[in-house]
Amino acid sequence: MTISKMAWLGGVALAAAVAWAVPVAAQTAKPAQIVVNASGGAQAAALRKSFYEEFEKRFGIRVVDSSPPDMGKLRAMVTTGNIEWAVTELNVEDAMLAQEQGLLEPIDPKIVDRSRFPANLQGRTHIFTRSAYSTVMGYRNDIFPAGKRPTTWADFWNVKDFPGPRAMQNSPIDNLEFALIADGVDKDKLYPLDVERAFKKLDQIKPHVTVWWTTGAQSAQLLIDKEVVLGTAWNGRYYAAIQQGAPINMEWNQAGIKESAFVIPKGAKDAHWAQQMLSVMTDPKLQGIYANIVTYPGLNLDATQYTDPKIQPFLPTHKDNLSRQWWQDVDWWVKNGKTMQDRWSRWVIAK
Amino acid sequence: MSAGLLGLRRDGPAIAMGTVPLLFLLLLFVYPVARLLSFSVEGGNFAHFEKALTDGLYVQVFLETLRIALIVAAICLVLGYPLAYGLAIASPLWATIGFAFLLLPFWTSVLVRTYAWMILLGRNGLLNRTLLDLGIIDQPLALLHNRTGVIIGMVHVLLPYMVFPIYSVMRRVDRQLLSAAEGLGASPTQAFRRVFVPLTLPGVFAGATLVFVISLGFFITPALLGGGRVMMIGVQIERLVRQFLDWGLAAAVAIILLAAALGIAALLRRLLRGDLTWS
Repeated sequence: MTISKMAWLGGVALAAAVAWAVPVAAQTAKPAQIVVNASGGAQAAALRKSFYEEFEKRFGIRVVDSSPPDMGKLRAMVTTGNIEWAVTELNVEDAMLAQEQGLLEPIDPKIVDRSRFPANLQGRTHIFTRSAYSTVMGYRNDIFPAGKRPTTWADFWNVKDFPGPRAMQNSPIDNLEFALIADGVDKDKLYPLDVERAFKKLDQIKPHVTVWWTTGAQSAQLLIDKEVVLGTAWNGRYYAAIQQGAPINMEWNQAGIKESAFVIPKGAKDAHWAQQMLSVMTDPKLQGIYANIVTYPGLNLDATQYTDPKIQPFLPTHKDNLSRQWWQDVDWWVKNGKTMQDRWSRWVIAK
Repeated sequence: MSAGLLGLRRDGPAIAMGTVPLLFLLLLFVYPVARLLSFSVEGGNFAHFEKALTDGLYVQVFLETLRIALIVAAICLVLGYPLAYGLAIASPLWATIGFAFLLLPFWTSVLVRTYAWMILLGRNGLLNRTLLDLGIIDQPLALLHNRTGVIIGMVHVLLPYMVFPIYSVMRRVDRQLLSAAEGLGASPTQAFRRVFVPLTLPGVFAGATLVFVISLGFFITPALLGGGRVMMIGVQIERLVRQFLDWGLAAAVAIILLAAALGIAALLRRLLRGDLTWS
């Protein structure tokens, strides 16, 4: 063995030893790219224009996007150690469940500064609240002209004065709350949910719900195609349809607002850069850019001033909208979600 | 043993050629599937199977799946048999055109075709609007987001699986047998019914088995055209895996589905063989 070869081997051994001994250094080593997994569609473009482009500029790491959020895939990745995502979006109940199952990395407060977030969101140890969104009522404004428009869930349930097929999400989330409000429960006194009463009220609307939608794109398309005349959807979906000229109105009254979560999978190989990505996502200016495109606001309290005044009435967090809505109780859903989903599956296919 | 060795020597090249795909399948298909299925007995008991076989929800979904698969296979047969016959007796030019029409959708993604059905069958879709404009109906027909929609979509996707086996058997039927039957005094209808149809039964059974078994595991079409109210077992498995993270139960349901599919395929083969011995 020649000297140079030995030196080379020694160098390799040394490098290996260093890599082993200094995991922090290995972790912060710059990857060429990181994968951020989210909902896709219009959202992907908005995320790129706001946060991804800034991240790429700041760190010189390319951001690759993938979709959709998928709990099953997250669990498969973490349990097999083959983690493709640096960051993934999840709905907040799923995120809580994932945290419970030990599938998430803690958020590093030294990197991700949430001091300008609402106090209740600062305390989330493994979940970054990137945005808020609402499930709102929407309807064809050519079928229901001014003066004859549904404004409450009681109206949604009132098939005599507001006739026509309806669509709702194929999930107990939101629908149990809507049913209770329709039945007269005060929107600020929903929790703990009276589940029996909710399902009983849902029985009444069931024959008139012709589609139980499963994807966001579907929910708005059903109204655009006139497949239904009344429906529910996430606010950004209706906004996009309205922008395209669809004769649709959305109603903020009694809508349900909730958190949209971004999380880092446990053991993600670029966890440090994932934390940096979340840090970029706290930037109020960038949150403003994002909200201007898809009407999902960031939760930094300073973000509003960077949002287009024309867009503000379409934001769930706008003060006029916020006061008329109710916040989803994440803790109730984490505790009861599985039971409710199971009961829902049986209820929805029962004759 | 020695025969096996001799066979091995003789089949050496064939075995060598088969090894790569076999390894490929073992490594990338059989092993992961086996791993997934092993989830069903995690904890060392059959609790997941017990739940899958006794819980009202799963029983209902299994029955609905069987019912839809049966209806789809029956409709495919009713549509596919005359279609295959037409193709078998058509001139080469018309047969080519017919196959082009049959194959064109076959090469299009199931997803695209399913969305196309949504445009056609919707409450405000092409079909309903036409019928309303013509005054044939005064209320839109409920063709989408229910079992009818799922069945229409599935029949469209699966029809070629019925036509091809029947067609290939029909092409092999010796036409002189029909002439002989007519020569012996049978009317054309009798000759068709009593000579031609029995000879094509192997194709019918093969097509029906294919369509039925593929139907059992259908996912995209029921998920999109069922409006959430038609729950087939494939949709339920997806929910268990992705939404509930209950992989044990999902694996148990998948095994039961696999066993049912294999069992039914075996049964149909049996029937088919029995039929051949009758002739």
